[in-house]
Amino acid sequence: MIVVFEKGLVLRHIGHLDLMRSIQRALRRSGLPVRYSNGFNPHIQLSFASPLSVGVAGMREVMDIPLESECDEAEFTQTLARAMPAPLKVRRARAVPDTFPTLMALVAGSNIRMELDAGQAADAVAAALPPFMASDDCVALRKTKSGENSTNIRPFVTQASVEPSGTGYTLRCVIANRAEGSLKPSVLMKALCDLAGVEAVPYLAYRDAILARAGDGALIALEEYPYV
Amino acid sequence: MIDRIEQLLERVEKPARYTGGEMNTEVKPIAQAEVSFAFCFPDTYEVAMSHLGMKILYDILNALPYAVCERVCMPWIDMLEGMRRENIPLFSLESRTALNRFDIVGFTLQYEMSYTNILEMLSLGGIPVKSAARVESDPIVVAGGPCAYNPEPLHAFIDAFMLGDGEEVIVKVTDAVHDGRKQGLARLEILRRLAGIPGVYVPAFYSARYHGDGTLQSFDPIDAAAPATVTKCCVADLDAAAYPGAIPVPYTQIVHDRIMLEIMRGCTRGCRFCQAGMLYRPVRERSVDRLLQLAEQLVDSTGYEEISLSSLSSGDYSKLSELCQKLMERFASRRVSISLPSLRIDSVVGDSLAQTQKVKKTSLTFAPEAGTQRLRDVINKGVTQTDLLSRLREAFEGGWNSVKLYFMIGLPTETQADLEGIAHLAREAVNAYYAVPKGQRAKGLRVTCSASVFVPKPFTPFQWNAQDTMETVRAKQAELRRMLNLRGVTFHWHDPSVSLLEACFAVGDRRLADVLYRAWELGCRLDGWSDQFRYDLWMRAFADCNLDPAFYANRERGAQELLPWDFIDIGVTKAYLRLEAERALRAETTPDCREGCNGCGIERIEGLCTICG
Repeated sequence: MIVVFEKGLVLRHIGHLDLMRSIQRALRRSGLPVRYSNGFNPHIQLSFASPLSVGVAGMREVMDIPLESECDEAEFTQTLARAMPAPLKVRRARAVPDTFPTLMALVAGSNIRMELDAGQAADAVAAALPPFMASDDCVALRKTKSGENSTNIRPFVTQASVEPSGTGYTLRCVIANRAEGSLKPSVLMKALCDLAGVEAVPYLAYRDAILARAGDGALIALEEYPYV
Repeated sequence: MIDRIEQLLERVEKPARYTGGEMNTEVKPIAQAEVSFAFCFPDTYEVAMSHLGMKILYDILNALPYAVCERVCMPWIDMLEGMRRENIPLFSLESRTALNRFDIVGFTLQYEMSYTNILEMLSLGGIPVKSAARVESDPIVVAGGPCAYNPEPLHAFIDAFMLGDGEEVIVKVTDAVHDGRKQGLARLEILRRLAGIPGVYVPAFYSARYHGDGTLQSFDPIDAAAPATVTKCCVADLDAAAYPGAIPVPYTQIVHDRIMLEIMRGCTRGCRFCQAGMLYRPVRERSVDRLLQLAEQLVDSTGYEEISLSSLSSGDYSKLSELCQKLMERFASRRVSISLPSLRIDSVVGDSLAQTQKVKKTSLTFAPEAGTQRLRDVINKGVTQTDLLSRLREAFEGGWNSVKLYFMIGLPTETQADLEGIAHLAREAVNAYYAVPKGQRAKGLRVTCSASVFVPKPFTPFQWNAQDTMETVRAKQAELRRMLNLRGVTFHWHDPSVSLLEACFAVGDRRLADVLYRAWELGCRLDGWSDQFRYDLWMRAFADCNLDPAFYANRERGAQELLPWDFIDIGVTKAYLRLEAERALRAETTPDCREGCNGCGIERIEGLCTICG
């Protein structure tokens, strides 16, 4: 079962492993026919499309929960929603056969939104976005498994826009995954702050959608990926 | 605008300590509550959320239709400093309400070294730290828990203490504040009503006087509402007592991240150093049926994968095998495992242990407490060398490779031979391991010896005894380090300066409130964390108050001396404790009271003790 859920703002500091354990406990509470791994310490099988960076809220996170027996999508959604803590909201469940591709392999990118608090720093960052998009390269430090790396982060951002919001600015962008990995919203924001010549700007980051590439090359929401 | 708390959370270590939103913590809106209770744990979130008492009382208070209870923990240094800088008051996890907006602020007292945290939390919560400075609009500050049995070092900061089992008295206290506020009673009148509740001690209504040598001369009530003796609260029937069917499930890992099922309260063994063994008398069990029902509810509501059967001595639960078997039957298919902490070496646990340890062979813990039979008899730890060695052999034969041995040093009457006994036992453990043939034993022997320092505790037969001076403790530790320098053996010891302060605050009087306040002013907090503990500042605080820590920690008290906690009746009498102290000196053991009533004093309360009837 592919499940779309929201990891609310209040949980943005909860790490990936803690989130996984919390959802496994919710699944135990739900009584849904989940599958357990074999071995000395059996645990509920569960896989996420893409771990969310700590500090970012996820509006449509996607996970795959293999089941022992078939379940009605609407019933599954309701049962799991009841078992989840309030800040974790189940949005949708979609039944797919076991032969459906691994979610992680389908991930091509994500829609990121950053809400900036009004102020001089935010004005400067908003103004720095068009020149950033017009340039070909922007080198920033990215933390990877092998340490800090200087990377040109510009190619990760395939689309970006900024508009005033009630409380400052809303900055939306499409981040495409590349061979060298993905780009954290915090790294992009740091680069924009550097370009704008400001120390930092108060903001909240949201991942609005995880994206997959459809047959025609277009980016679509991962949960809509067709089964053939 | 992103609020200041959220901005601060971006910059602190482990922000999830402060964000709440856990399963089973959704309570009613605080604005609609007629009376609000802030349950404060004076340590960090991970420690707080591992505490069973908090979960029981949180559930009880939130079950009252007119009340709301929210949790408040001690922030870590980075958060503390950020909150001070940004002028953010200490707030509750559920609704982020400032501490001073609650009607009642209640602290649980689990450990002496968390006392400065109480002062820090009050101050950060916008509440005057000293009771005397509080005005009508301030919350009523209450406290309970094991350290409340010597409330005196905290008398200046806590308005009312609750002594004993909290399940019933916390409701009475909440009701009294609720009614008092509704009727528009003055703070003083509300405190008078609290003083009238059995088990409640309001320190402002008592006066202490001292002899020239610093010992207590008299301790008397000075208000008609205050009783001369405060008797602890005791829940007679655990099956009838409230127990939560749902408990908060933290997102992040806490110290005890599992269901804790309290199978019984109290212990009949009578170890003479053990405060809990005296405080929680008489022993009371929950029935197997009730425990199965609770386990079912808790597994359903939490999704936890482990149930821990908790009590002071779980091996003494009369139907342990039946309980373990039924729990296994019921939960094996749901992959819930059962664990049994607090087992005594001499418990009949063969079957139960085999069941619970089917999967993982983690470390086994033994607590002989002393190195020789003589000293074990002095402390009435009814464990024999033969028992201990055969358990060790069984453990190694059963596939364990790691055992922990817990000892105490500085116990009354300890000699060189007792220290050597500790090393001897460690060597015997090593020998027991190598006695198992090579192919049959698990690889990689690990014997961990831990030696804590004896701390005299109120309401124990050793309440009159002195703690070793730090110099003596250091010398003993150095000697043990030398003797335990063996292959496969690791030796852990405690910082004697922490033990000294534990002793001072365990057996201290009212004057220590000044030392505590001064230490907090000088910057002491989170003293239970060794990287934060500032011995130098504590000694300065003692000096500034003209008090000597040795007077409290390193002085033998006379049999006739009036002790600061003598006005509290825990059921066990002072005469019985004295009798036990004298037997200790003669290395005379007292049998487990299930073998016959020893006359500890609990029998005076009719129908309470199931053993003496």
